[in-house]
Amino acid sequence: MDNITQERLNQLRGAAGAKRHNARTVAALTGNPGCVRRAVLDAAGVDKDKLARRVGFPAKFGQSQFAITRGNSFEAQVKANAFAELITLLRDTLGLQIGEVGQTDLEQVGGNTSQEIRHTRSRQKLTGAMTNGESTFFDHPLLTLDVGGNTVYLEPDLVAFHHEGVFHVVEIKSFAVIDDQADGAKVAAAAIQSAVYVLALRRLLGDDKVSHEVVLVCPKDFSNKPVATKIDVRKQLIVLEHQLTRLARIETLVDALPPGLSLDLDNSADDLFKALSEIEARYAPDCIAKCEMAFFCRNEARGCTAALGISVREELGGVETVAEALGLADGTLVASDDQAEAASMLRATADIYASAAAA
Amino acid sequence: MLVVTSVAEELERRIDELRAAVRKAVTAGERERANALRAELRKTERQWEDALDELAEPPVTTVPRQAGPLLPLREQVHQALTLLGAPAAPKLIIAVHEAFHVGEMVPARLTSLRRDEERSFRSAPHARPYYLCSALSADLLAPARGLLAVSTWAMTTRVIGPLSPRVDFLTSAIRLSEYLSRIPEPGPAARRLLWRFAANIPGAAANTDAMTPAAVAEAADAELQIHQDTDRSHREAAAKRAREQLDDVEQLFGSRLRSISATGS
Repeated sequence: MDNITQERLNQLRGAAGAKRHNARTVAALTGNPGCVRRAVLDAAGVDKDKLARRVGFPAKFGQSQFAITRGNSFEAQVKANAFAELITLLRDTLGLQIGEVGQTDLEQVGGNTSQEIRHTRSRQKLTGAMTNGESTFFDHPLLTLDVGGNTVYLEPDLVAFHHEGVFHVVEIKSFAVIDDQADGAKVAAAAIQSAVYVLALRRLLGDDKVSHEVVLVCPKDFSNKPVATKIDVRKQLIVLEHQLTRLARIETLVDALPPGLSLDLDNSADDLFKALSEIEARYAPDCIAKCEMAFFCRNEARGCTAALGISVREELGGVETVAEALGLADGTLVASDDQAEAASMLRATADIYASAAAA
Repeated sequence: MLVVTSVAEELERRIDELRAAVRKAVTAGERERANALRAELRKTERQWEDALDELAEPPVTTVPRQAGPLLPLREQVHQALTLLGAPAAPKLIIAVHEAFHVGEMVPARLTSLRRDEERSFRSAPHARPYYLCSALSADLLAPARGLLAVSTWAMTTRVIGPLSPRVDFLTSAIRLSEYLSRIPEPGPAARRLLWRFAANIPGAAANTDAMTPAAVAEAADAELQIHQDTDRSHREAAAKRAREQLDDVEQLFGSRLRSISATGS
């Protein structure tokens, strides 16, 4: 990122300190790639939660304290007694040999938990593993990833090193796998989060050293017994890499913004509202689960066809608003050339609906 | 202790004053006043005797024994660790205690235990027969996260190399199996504890009902043979370094400063 863009982003953020990315926010980048607003706000490190509150659309958002506690206690259970349960699971899923039980604790360095020191040591130990093979399990290594010019620290639950010279990311999640089925949305979120770790690890060790298969460890059925599943994250990796290169091109997005635009949290709510409207958003219903600004954008997108979801947006290409769509359907509006296809479909749908409603 | 001493000293001063006052009263012929002062003197002398008794006996033994645990916490932890024969996390120590002894062990008190022991060692080194101390990580000789050990163990047992956690897990499984086979009827809590080990040792037991301590020990020993030699060489090298480089306190409770400079290399 060049200095001018950095300057613009700092100006946009105002006096407040920059908010750092974590694995969750990096993963969220892939959720709605077309949204300029999210891309710009994230690159500038704006505190979206505070901003949404200032403009009157607080996000009912974030992880519940109960979920965090449950997650931590399940992780502690799986890792208890020298990773006893994990060793059993990974001997099955990854085919670890019986001698591969070495462990390195990277959560602190001799009582020191500063990020720089932990990262340095994680790097030493992980790169060293390929030559000396002392350790198989790396507990909470601290990795870095360059996201739009900012260094982001990432902390996977565990990295396992296999005798064939391949590293695997192991992600421990506390949602249950019931009858071999888990909540699809949660698995997808875990997969993309793990993909972020794989990417960070690949940047450190090289692409061929880190497997695209991550191991997801979850509680089985209604018990606390852990079960491990391999997940292929190749698709997520492609999406992520695309997103990150796009973030690196943030210059173009910032250049398109009007000069002097500021989202300083000390500005009045009205000013912030106006400034936000200058940055184009691309609201989709699943933003609600992923982005702090979602309620603001939803309000703004009211009456637009795009707010009805990605499939509707694709079907109704060229038709911007719901009113327009209704007009095309009942024939009160004449379709322009690029709307012709959508318009004929809308009219057909209206006919079918009318005949069904009449019957 | 300090408070009691100062009380006794205070009383001694008071006794001296009273004696002087009695002598003055007698020589001055003030009989009534002398009697009153003598009574006061006797009372103070009795208080002084009491204060002396308190000094002679350590406060621990004067606490009346109740229905709760008979041993102080550090003794209980020491017992559990001795049974396991290897450094262990507080959670496992509590599980062992609850499997074989009555009374509850409060996790919150275990967390402050190590710090109390370190303070005690610093103020009066080697005054106690044993201390509950840290296990040391083999590379940095810093306290290994969340592991307690006993100071009387050999340094090689107290340092933790890459393979040591698994080796200690298997060692503890063997010790626990042996202990279980010695007691006539192990309770369900004890069997449950052993199952937590057996479930994660290949070939130890198919299920809880079929589990026998002898089979668990045998399976654990089979895996232990694979790791043992490599682990021992790691541990011996680290223990040698620890004995050469660390002072008495650091040998028990780990080095913290050294760890920071070590990461720069």
